[in-house]
Amino acid sequence: MNRRAFLTVTGTGATAGFAGMKLTHRDTPLPAGPAGNSAVAVLRADSYTKDLVSPILGGIRACSPQLADYVKGRRVLLKPNLVEFDSNTAINTDPRFVMAAYEVFRTLGAAEVMIAEGPGHRRDTLDLADQARYFDNVPGFEGLFTDLNRDDVSPVTNFAGEERMYFPNTALGADLIVSLAKMKTHHWAGATLAMKNFFGLVPGSVYGWPKNKLHYIGIPQSIVALNRRFRKTFALVDGIVGMEGNGPIQGRPKASHVIVMGRDLVAVDATCCRIMGIDPAKVEYLRLAADMGHIGTDRIEQRGETVASVRTDFELLESFRQLRLV
Amino acid sequence: MAEVYLDRRRAALRRTQNPDGGWGYFPGKTSWLEPTAYAMLALDGDPAAREAADRAWKLVQSWQLPDGSWRAGATVEDGTWVTALAVTLCSVRRDYGTQFEKGASYLLGTCGAENRPLVRFLRALGLGDKEVDTSHPGWPWRDGNSSWLEPTAHALVALKKSAAQVRSPVLKTRVGEAEQMVLVRRCRDGGWNYGVRSALHVDLPSYPETTALGLLALQGTTAPIEESIALGRHLWLRPKSPLAHAWLTIALRTWGDALPAPDEAEEPPKDIMLTALQALAHPNGNFRLLKTGRPA
Repeated sequence: MNRRAFLTVTGTGATAGFAGMKLTHRDTPLPAGPAGNSAVAVLRADSYTKDLVSPILGGIRACSPQLADYVKGRRVLLKPNLVEFDSNTAINTDPRFVMAAYEVFRTLGAAEVMIAEGPGHRRDTLDLADQARYFDNVPGFEGLFTDLNRDDVSPVTNFAGEERMYFPNTALGADLIVSLAKMKTHHWAGATLAMKNFFGLVPGSVYGWPKNKLHYIGIPQSIVALNRRFRKTFALVDGIVGMEGNGPIQGRPKASHVIVMGRDLVAVDATCCRIMGIDPAKVEYLRLAADMGHIGTDRIEQRGETVASVRTDFELLESFRQLRLV
Repeated sequence: MAEVYLDRRRAALRRTQNPDGGWGYFPGKTSWLEPTAYAMLALDGDPAAREAADRAWKLVQSWQLPDGSWRAGATVEDGTWVTALAVTLCSVRRDYGTQFEKGASYLLGTCGAENRPLVRFLRALGLGDKEVDTSHPGWPWRDGNSSWLEPTAHALVALKKSAAQVRSPVLKTRVGEAEQMVLVRRCRDGGWNYGVRSALHVDLPSYPETTALGLLALQGTTAPIEESIALGRHLWLRPKSPLAHAWLTIALRTWGDALPAPDEAEEPPKDIMLTALQALAHPNGNFRLLKTGRPA
């Protein structure tokens, strides 16, 4: 049975996606990855109420000292994970974390720092941002924000085997996209971190709410294709309070008190997985992305805290128990 | 009664029309079919907008693709769910020519991928997830994808509104099946989520905007949906999202609710689609254009 038939007969295309990992093999050896090593910084952060700007600046200097030079005079797009709102859990990148990132990139000399997101389910993005308290915590939020679901778009060829895909001009025109992801489990992909966060770059005006086209391409395949298309990126993962269990929406809050960052999004996500007690080598989208970045600890230079010192196992759904890092 | 609220919104729409005749989601942005369709509906019958409406209609007509679908906007070559909105516009303008026929035919020939023959066959063999009842075909956002609530609601409005003009033996069946699809996907509280009622056996919440679209889709149904209407009324009383409030107002008015007028002094939003929907939702607005019966 091909992917499309599998997806449709299971009905999962009509729910949220599917576990593409069930269709592929985890035993095939991983590609070597790019030359050199990748630096990833892991910082402790107890709460959102303390100063986050100084530690993030310190983390950037530690893991990517060239970033400061690159950012000067350029257009930086901050891409939070803004999905749904439920006051009982921690779905979205915390607005105080977003505000800190905004200040960081202004401090680094960016000519413009924008905030942009295209939520996958809800159509009233500003109302969602209001419920998630973005207006309260980010002064002038509406003026800084672009709804990527309804931005003007341009075609891109050669995307995951598709003749063309359309992407928002705001994202295509950014000099740097910073994935301000939330550290969460995901009931189809295993985990949703810096790389999966790029689903929000796909415009609902063309692909709908949700962007069901991506489910049909395959969630892991789409994650990788998006990250191949958008390469000028940096990851800042909000793991101060993440989500465990039935993520990315219906799970429980999980405090791991960390911020994880780096230029190699594969290495950042692999590090986040280890902190969550997930074996990154078993996560399908990371396996598919292994030629783009580093998964193995032998190729990731850890800055700041060690993984072992901050590891906090996230509860996994039964169907993902095999991902547990031993 | 001075209709400051409605007049301001219509004036804002006239002012923000693009030179090509369409509207963007926001002023000065590229034209898209979705905001153009709602702006055209909101301005229908406005004597000051006659020329604007004709220019808009010419643009919309130029966006139909050879397969009968309509492209999503000026810079998008793909046909999408907005085909339903274009078919509704054909009905409103009583333009039942070839373009209408091709558009309606495209809708009748499109369904969610979960209802294609191969998938139905596989399901008949016992393969598949029993949690989601995918036996009733609705409409997808794009051809080749699964059915979802919103595109199904728009297609139902389009086809029911133009039923008398659609010469197809499958019309009644498609409408009935799609209504069933909307009904079986109702959440536990009677409202609608954007997709299904549960995922991984956990109930999903209903949302005000999708509940409004569910009610719009089921106009004329004989199925018991009092609970859904009551939920819609309840959600209408505590609006958070202006978009959801506009859709709920439109939906409840089509079901005959005499809701109070909005605060006349409220300024129009910058969002063009929201401006148009608020104009449609006004007691003297054109929400009636989205009223439908059922195919005879």
